[in-house]
Amino acid sequence: MTQGSELVIRVADLKKHYGDVRAVDGVTFEVARGEVFGMLGPNGAGKTTTIEVLEGLRPPDSGTVEVLGLDVLRHPQSIKQRIGVQLQSVSLYPRLTVTELLDLFGSFFNHHVPTKQLIDAVDLGERAHAWAMNLSGGQQQRLSIALALVNDPELVFLDEPTTGLDPQARRSLWDLIRGLQDKGTSVMLTTHYMEEATELCNRVAIMDHGHILEMGAVSDLIGRRFRERAVFFDSNPKLPMELLARLGGVSRAAQEEGQTVLYSNDVPGTVGALLATADEVSVEPRNLGIRQATLEDVFLDLTGRALRD
Amino acid sequence: MGTLLGLTVANVKSLARDRAALFWTIFFPIMFVFLFGWIFGGSGGSKISVGFVDQDGTQASGGLRQALAGVTLLSLHDGTLDAEKAAMQHGDVSAVIVVPKGLQDAFVQARTGNAASIAVQVYGDPSQNQTTQVVQGAVAQVANGFNLAALGGSAILTVSQLTLQSTSISSVAYLVPSILAMALMQLGIFAAIPLVQQREKGILKRIGATPLARWKLVGSNVLLRLMVAIVDAVLIIGIGFAVFNVHIVGNLLEVGAIVLLGSASFLAIGFALASFLKTEEQAQGVVQVVQLPMMFLSGIFFSFDFLPGFLQTVARFLPLTYLGDALRQVMVNGAQVAPLGADLAILAGWLVVCLGISARSFRWE
Ligand SMILES: Nc1ncnc2c1ncn2[C@@H]1O[C@H](COP(=O)(O)OP(=O)(O)OP(=O)(O)O)[C@@H](O)[C@H]1O
Ligand SMILES: [Mg+2]
Repeated sequence: MTQGSELVIRVADLKKHYGDVRAVDGVTFEVARGEVFGMLGPNGAGKTTTIEVLEGLRPPDSGTVEVLGLDVLRHPQSIKQRIGVQLQSVSLYPRLTVTELLDLFGSFFNHHVPTKQLIDAVDLGERAHAWAMNLSGGQQQRLSIALALVNDPELVFLDEPTTGLDPQARRSLWDLIRGLQDKGTSVMLTTHYMEEATELCNRVAIMDHGHILEMGAVSDLIGRRFRERAVFFDSNPKLPMELLARLGGVSRAAQEEGQTVLYSNDVPGTVGALLATADEVSVEPRNLGIRQATLEDVFLDLTGRALRD
Repeated sequence: MGTLLGLTVANVKSLARDRAALFWTIFFPIMFVFLFGWIFGGSGGSKISVGFVDQDGTQASGGLRQALAGVTLLSLHDGTLDAEKAAMQHGDVSAVIVVPKGLQDAFVQARTGNAASIAVQVYGDPSQNQTTQVVQGAVAQVANGFNLAALGGSAILTVSQLTLQSTSISSVAYLVPSILAMALMQLGIFAAIPLVQQREKGILKRIGATPLARWKLVGSNVLLRLMVAIVDAVLIIGIGFAVFNVHIVGNLLEVGAIVLLGSASFLAIGFALASFLKTEEQAQGVVQVVQLPMMFLSGIFFSFDFLPGFLQTVARFLPLTYLGDALRQVMVNGAQVAPLGADLAILAGWLVVCLGISARSFRWE
């Protein structure tokens, strides 16, 4: 984020507790106009709570929360005119059609985008006259995103926008979000998909237990932690971790989802040593491969667990 | 204003497309009208039972009786005035004809050249206008015949009309306002269900994220229900009139005003209930627990004189008791539980209290 650029979100030391649950426990971040900002974190991290405070749906316990330069507690109505909201879980009036719902929500705002244009944007043309209750899960999700865009907002909040979408619909939504960014709309989204965050977000915050653990551009986050690349293969009991960790060039060894990952500064050396060791116990490492470290690795490193359980 | 209208249209569409909700809000009360109408209304073609009280006991009054008995529509039932009035109040007879003492004397006087007149009294129930008119018409015709036969048409025998309200629970006229009261009560209380549904589904929360003013969200729900209340009233009164001959004696504007006040009070109760209910299943159950006993305790279908003492006390607190009472008084001039002003004041009281509760306790998510 460049210094002096206009901020669309400014949050300082935000706290929101539910009884003993410290859903959000001192969070500070800023989003500049035109940015796509992602919030990543496991279930219960506090992403939805944070985003709903920003949307004016929940009052914060303490801290500063400004959206589009306005205090959320003091100017909720003006903020709501100018933002778009997609909630994590919502079903709409079940017996209204897609067109009727978009018309209805449009009427709540001072100005709104033509319904036809929104329907085309989320590719719901064939279902324009279907009742909301008869849409598939992915179609409902797309309708809910169209509703978030009904007022041509300056800032859009998307809470897990691609959960439940098939890969093709997910990619077309990515295109939609890139299109929003191209025309200068700012976006704050939450996701469980590292790939999505990497593809879309200028910056991400990794959140857990109500705290932001790390924040920055995806490449910076990876670079900050991992100068190494990862050598990976299907785990094998004949190749114990203690042994592998001592191989040449290996800085760390980890297990993820049935695979062994060796982070190495010297990939050719490590692979050579690995194959030699494997040969001694007469096994062949299956699905052997090499990759850059990913956001997933950052997350694993930060929280000690995978993003999706 | 446009958004309020748009939201109301959305609510109307949602209701119109929901068969179950339509059934409960519109067809169910109409079914009641037909059901009770057929059970209690008797068959339309049979004779009208009329009490006949002969206080003269002369040849002349005997002749009058014979003439009336000759009218095919009437079937006479003899008795004393008190007995016949009681019979009418129980719904056993639809009108009472009283021949006062002095009938024969009047005719004797007239024949000797003195001026004389005497009135036959007909007690009718104004809520059963059609029946009353038939009886009065028949009596007037017979009286006319008597006058003609006696002295070429001078009006010795006249007919005076008196009203006597039949409070019989078997009277359809009594039931139409009761069914309307029931329909309005259910309409209001059942409003809790879609509200809880919309909250559970997150619709209220989602709309809360738009700049729409909350009063418009509430207002559109109120408008929808008041519109349905008017539809219910028109259908119930219309069917009562067209099929079961029940006439509204009061001013229709007054009826309309009471319909709106009553619906508003029960809507406020529905909103207050929705403030405390979390899930749709809960709402379905609680709404029944509230509306069923109210229906049976409030004296809209049974006079609550039959209830044990403590239940009568309960009944005196129920808003439905007073809505039923107010509608009965205005629509068919029915016997009253309380003066009309008191009925309306109590309904307004429920409205204010429940609105207060809703305003304090209603949750949007
Ligand atoms: N209304 C509420 N009342 C009580 N606790 C709540 C409430 N809303 C959220 N919480 C709790 O606050 C914590 C944070 O929840 P939140 O929904 O913000 O998580 P999240 O990061 O969005 O998770 P997910 O990825 O599952 O959507 C959780 O422990 C949750 O149980
Ligand atoms: Mg969430």
